[in-house]
Amino acid sequence: MCMRNIFCAVLISFIPFILQAQPKGFADIKNVTAFKDALAKSNASIETIASDFTQTKNLSMLSDKIKSKGKFYFKKDDKVRIEYTSPYSYLLVMNGGRLLVKDEQKTNKINTRNSKMMQSVNRIIIDCMRGSVFQNPDFKVQAFENGQHYLLSLSPVTEGMKKMFRQIDVYINKRNFDVNQLVMREQGGDYTDMDFTNTKHNVSLNETLFRVN
Amino acid sequence: MRHFLGLISIIVLLLVSCASPYRALHEIKDTKATALKYKPIFKREVYRCTVDGKFLFKKFHLSGILFFKQMDDGNTRVVFQNEMGFTFFDFGWNQNDSVKVYDILPQLNKPAVVKLLKKDLNLFMMRGLDKPSETLYKKDRDTYYRFTLSKGYAYYIEEDGKLVRIENVGKHKAVTTIIIGEKKTAHDMPGSILFAHHKAHFTIQLKKIEEHAD
Repeated sequence: MCMRNIFCAVLISFIPFILQAQPKGFADIKNVTAFKDALAKSNASIETIASDFTQTKNLSMLSDKIKSKGKFYFKKDDKVRIEYTSPYSYLLVMNGGRLLVKDEQKTNKINTRNSKMMQSVNRIIIDCMRGSVFQNPDFKVQAFENGQHYLLSLSPVTEGMKKMFRQIDVYINKRNFDVNQLVMREQGGDYTDMDFTNTKHNVSLNETLFRVN
Repeated sequence: MRHFLGLISIIVLLLVSCASPYRALHEIKDTKATALKYKPIFKREVYRCTVDGKFLFKKFHLSGILFFKQMDDGNTRVVFQNEMGFTFFDFGWNQNDSVKVYDILPQLNKPAVVKLLKKDLNLFMMRGLDKPSETLYKKDRDTYYRFTLSKGYAYYIEEDGKLVRIENVGKHKAVTTIIIGEKKTAHDMPGSILFAHHKAHFTIQLKKIEEHAD
């Protein structure tokens, strides 16, 4: 066997490991179908989600972090309210195809039906929180697990999403299927980590929380 | 005759009102005094940032976080991101005041916008100033420190021993005014900063915020 063939044989033997690179501390989910069914069953029973969150933006080149916190609300099928309360006030409401963005000074209303990119961003936030990422056409999903969490690693497949994200990691609690953590990694190495705590399901959420008009 | 005098007085009034306010400045010879005593020195500062303006009769509004950081290698980075962490721009300055664009949103990546942002930040951080060109002027109780730019001048205006504003002046008028908020010391970063672009009709407002949510 010539040197080149030996090199090829070695390379080929590594391919399965390269393709199935696992995040540290996680293993592949053995029965993905069973996991998908369990996730779908759990999500079917959830009408609303209310949660606190802490967001940490990690600036890799600057070796620094910016931390903020707020409240997250979700109401089936497609209503989301992300309310930053500290250290600044900022509100983002998604309701159907409409988006409301409000800071300390101004309120902007945007019809996302005119923007495919905005629709994609809307959808990924909703899919991550209600666990329907397997159906999202903008991402390829790999599923892993450890003792406490399922990890869904989303790699963008569309050009638009590739410009925004390198990968999105969704950490789902194995006990109750709550999304505990969302990590959005950018191409440049920066990443935004959202940690969700005090999550409550099926609490009564007033429609005014999701008012866009 | 009366009509003629009336016309003359209107013309004089117009000329006076259109005259550059900088013509009333009196040059003073003081080789020691310099505006560089106000050069901001920082390790890390975070500001709430809002941008308002009008382009082709359409209003726009952006908000986010503006981050100033002095790196260990002596370089400086200024990063503007939205609240959810997406980067609008990321500029870096080396120790020779040369600017590099590390990242910028495609919608902002226009030569005129990049040039304007660089100029604003250069003026505020007192980067790339032609130090030998510095000249001092007085007007009432105010001191004006003037630097010659490639086009026009930069005036650093001191009132009662405090830097209160920076003006980028074209031929006669200020094209940009930077209002400097309260500073604890001369080299401190101010609590607030307002960049007002009189020709381009847009403003950038910065307000210092707590670094972390905890």
